[in-house]
Amino acid sequence: MAEQAQRDQEGRAARRVVLLDGLPVVVLGGVALALGSSPDQTPGQKAWWIAATVAFALGMAWVLLRAFRRADEYLRKIQLESMAVAFAVVLVALQVAAVLDAAGVIRLHQVTQLIIIGGMGVWHMTADLRTRFNR
Amino acid sequence: MRNRLRELRAARRWSQADLAGRCGVSRQAINAIETGKYDPSLPLAFTLADVFGMTIEEIFDPGHRS
Repeated sequence: MAEQAQRDQEGRAARRVVLLDGLPVVVLGGVALALGSSPDQTPGQKAWWIAATVAFALGMAWVLLRAFRRADEYLRKIQLESMAVAFAVVLVALQVAAVLDAAGVIRLHQVTQLIIIGGMGVWHMTADLRTRFNR
Repeated sequence: MRNRLRELRAARRWSQADLAGRCGVSRQAINAIETGKYDPSLPLAFTLADVFGMTIEEIFDPGHRS
């Protein structure tokens, strides 16, 4: 009973750390997405959009680095496998988005960040589910 | 790879978290090793052997020896 409570507490603490790291970056991705949503941008708007996108990319790299540094060998393996799944999802989604963009259905520059944010979500969810089912 | 981790841990009345703390890894890693879902690296196997005061061969069994 006490061990179960300790497990739950540990799990909650680990998820809290991931959320504290990941949420600001996801919010920044949303901001970059919103800034780039207008098709006719002034040079000033474009500069903000590029700045937000660069900050988002750097933030993502920082989150990945922190996650790897925190993890031990087993969790690192889980994270790498989850990242591989997320990478495959992002690649397929980009391919589909590129085809839809060519057909004039969507605008690729708007969807790209959404796909990357989705990839991060897939990464976190896969890693979380794999460790959750392996308690 | 089979191992005696759970049995040795239980004999010392350690929780998975206790053993994880002694080895400097996560509790999930200990659980994955105990259930045979993950084979530890050589450095971690040595650490586990050290913690139990045994050799690696006494804890882990590859299961294919004649």
